[in-house]
Amino acid sequence: MKQELYDLADKAIKIAKAAGADDCRVSINGERFVEISYRDRRPEGIKEATSRGLQVEIFVNKRYSVQATSDLRPQALKSFIEKAVASTRLLEEDPLRTLPDPKYYQGRQNIDLKQFDPNYKKLTPEDRHSFVRAIEDSCLAKGGDKVISVTASGYDSYSEQVLMASNGFDGYVEYTAFYGAAEMTARDEGDRRPAEYNVAIAMIRKDLPRPEDIGAEAAARTLSLLGARKIKTETLPIIIENRVAGQVAGGLLQAMVGRNIQQKQSFLADKKGQKTGSEKLTLVDDPFIPGGLGSRTFDGEGLAAKKMVMIEGGVLREFYVDWYYGRKLGWEPTTGSPSNLVIPPGKRSVKEIMKDLGRGIFVTGFIGGNSNSTTGDFSIGIIGQLFEKGEIVHPVSEMNIADNHLKFWPRLVEAANDPYPYSQVRLPSLVFDSVVVSGI
Amino acid sequence: MKNMSRRSFIKTGATAIAGTFAASSFLPKGWPALADEKTGGYFEKEFGITDELCRKVLSEALSKGGDFADLFFEHTITNFLILEDGKVNRASCEVALGVGIRTVKGDQVGYGFTQDLSEKAMLAAASTAATIASASGQKPAAKFAPLKTKNYYPVTTLLSSVPLESKLPLVQSLNEKCFSLSPLVRKVMVVFHDQERRILVVTSDGVKAEDLQPRSYLSSSVVAEKNGRWERSGWNFGGRREFSYYTPALVEELAQRSVDRALVLFEAIQPPAGEMPVVLGPGVTGVLLHEAIGHGMEADFNRKKISTYCTMLGKKVAEPFVTIIDDGTVPYLTGSINFDDEGTPTQKTVLVDKGILTSYLHDRISARSYGVKSTGSGRRQSYQHYPIPRMRNTYMLAGEASPEDVIKAAGNGIYVQDVANGQVKIGEGDFAFYVSQGRLIENGKLGAPIKDVNIMGNGPKMLANIIMVAKDFEFAQGGGGTCGKGGQGVPVGFGQPTCLVKSLTVGGVRG
Repeated sequence: MKQELYDLADKAIKIAKAAGADDCRVSINGERFVEISYRDRRPEGIKEATSRGLQVEIFVNKRYSVQATSDLRPQALKSFIEKAVASTRLLEEDPLRTLPDPKYYQGRQNIDLKQFDPNYKKLTPEDRHSFVRAIEDSCLAKGGDKVISVTASGYDSYSEQVLMASNGFDGYVEYTAFYGAAEMTARDEGDRRPAEYNVAIAMIRKDLPRPEDIGAEAAARTLSLLGARKIKTETLPIIIENRVAGQVAGGLLQAMVGRNIQQKQSFLADKKGQKTGSEKLTLVDDPFIPGGLGSRTFDGEGLAAKKMVMIEGGVLREFYVDWYYGRKLGWEPTTGSPSNLVIPPGKRSVKEIMKDLGRGIFVTGFIGGNSNSTTGDFSIGIIGQLFEKGEIVHPVSEMNIADNHLKFWPRLVEAANDPYPYSQVRLPSLVFDSVVVSGI
Repeated sequence: MKNMSRRSFIKTGATAIAGTFAASSFLPKGWPALADEKTGGYFEKEFGITDELCRKVLSEALSKGGDFADLFFEHTITNFLILEDGKVNRASCEVALGVGIRTVKGDQVGYGFTQDLSEKAMLAAASTAATIASASGQKPAAKFAPLKTKNYYPVTTLLSSVPLESKLPLVQSLNEKCFSLSPLVRKVMVVFHDQERRILVVTSDGVKAEDLQPRSYLSSSVVAEKNGRWERSGWNFGGRREFSYYTPALVEELAQRSVDRALVLFEAIQPPAGEMPVVLGPGVTGVLLHEAIGHGMEADFNRKKISTYCTMLGKKVAEPFVTIIDDGTVPYLTGSINFDDEGTPTQKTVLVDKGILTSYLHDRISARSYGVKSTGSGRRQSYQHYPIPRMRNTYMLAGEASPEDVIKAAGNGIYVQDVANGQVKIGEGDFAFYVSQGRLIENGKLGAPIKDVNIMGNGPKMLANIIMVAKDFEFAQGGGGTCGKGGQGVPVGFGQPTCLVKSLTVGGVRG
């Protein structure tokens, strides 16, 4: 289908140019997916479809718009693009809106990122169903008589994308994606029914954990929440579990994006070269991890991907700057969006760290909350486990942490040895000192 | 507009250069017109979707048995017009066209969708959906009866027929107004969003329902600088509104609110942390109801016994002055629908009647499992999703007290004016929402402004803890409210009178 997508992209560019566009960039996606969920040991939902979409960015008379459609019938598409060009002309002029200088397309790595599973096409309906059944069985078994409800699900997809720009860029990616998940709700005291889930995502099917482990872990995570209660407001060390650490790091990332910097909505705008975290904070954007969920050789604008050290030993080194906001800021573009995020793992496990910390909270989930990219203030609900001297005391709920990123990250004291592989945010569990955890 | 061809529809939707714009007045509340005035026969006219074709596809969807099947056709055009740094320099348009085909067997669902509305592609998607069942084939109804409903968002001028030349000055005027209000304003971003969603639901038991759901909002985001400190805030107005809603007076009010909200943040402090009385101001704080009770009342969660409310039907959950409603019939409000995405007419569903839990929110599957009628709550994000029970506009009825007395009764606590990012854990009932704007309450009086605070509570506990309700009910007039569940976002609305919650956990002071 690769050639078909290329032909369509080519055609879209020709239509746009013929309609008077100075330049344009076209992106076309094709996807086939199957999603199955089980409950009560029978299928609850089966969903399957093939879809396509086309997006075209139009540059005409120093004006810009982006238009997308799923109606790809030749006549409808031609009409859609022609009208798109005409309407773009009516916007206000912005000379900085152009395609990137083609020199930034150069230097694209020619490597196999291992994002396409060659065994995908051999997958049978029975493979899919037995995978999900195994997840459900293990979750039910591990959950035992505490189970109120278990839903298990599995998903696989095959996708292709073509990105083509009229000033000499074309790129193609073909990838597969798989996930297995389970969610369990358990019986607790009174009307409380704690629920927790576990999901693992990978681009190669064999990189997923065994389905038995996916289900059992969902059950274990749910059972760990039984008997949750809040404690008195207290200043404690906290460990943020690897899989949710990205939510806090996201508050930093927002402030590192070119648009927010240019629009004065970044508390990091003037902090380049300065300490923004402890020396334990090194944050790397690595697009070349084999099988990585965010791996790529070019970004959405066609800029060649590079590995970047965003924060090094606490010192802010780089921003996410796309072509347009780079021009507005007068800065070199890097890339407009993160690929895979890595914080180098430490040497000790969460268990070992807990032993040393005395009393603290192991945060396994967040609820509600927000992070203000302009000021760096954040406040968020936490779910987790109170521990003392390495032992879990009881789960906690209805509690909050509130801080400011510029004061919070300097208190990062350790990274654990457990980078999370099933996300493009591949962070280890992170340990912070002296955090006010508010409760009663 | 009635006879607009598909082509001109796309043309005006994508480019908004054709068509004429005529200012129109609102129909008075309580006098909705019939829904099919502007919508009847759209999919047949534009895409050749005849009853016969629907019957064929539904037959395929039921070819392996199944209790019922439905088709959900959708043609949606979504536009954004964006002003940044003084210029309307970015626009986007998205056209979504497709059909979702569902086969239901008990509580099991088979689903396929296609963007290609040809008979061949639809039959293939239907045969995918059919696989959920494994028995002998069923036949759909011989005839489809067009559903007639009231229209809660009558449109006199299609948003897609409003030319860009009319939208540009609106966006520019809001930008200018914001800058004119304070020398501290440094950056303004203005967004005008409009959407026309045309849907056609055809069910195997003979319902055929067609609708045009408009949606729009105008928003401004303001960044201000004072003594080297920066703050940002904003506001939006909208709903199932047409273009004539966006008057100069509305632009003025929107600018004033956006700027005021940004400037007050320079004075804002962190409240103390811990449990304390919380007063919810009128309007958008209804998000609290949405999280604390609304989601827990969605019947799929209760059918599966995974909601904290699943054993509470008929029981007292709140004081007798607390009545909570989920309502699709509020004229022009964001969450209003004429019928749901399964073809069931909408309604006003009382969730809590004078303190007693009275009804869940049902779609067809849960209604059948409970042996009740659907409450018209089966909604979906798009043709790519199957429907599940969802909220519409959720609100609490007004009480008797004056807002001042409610604040006075709180003693010391916080007053919540605007909230964002609500979330709930259905099973525990624990919820959180983020206070983007509020005030301290000290000795029964409003004190210093506060900001950026997360609040947590437990749904059933919170309901029981509503100890005072004021008479100042307001619907939130924002158009941007979107609720996420199961990976699907749908537009929702909120309303609330000032009320006092005896105690919630406030995540205040920074470490």
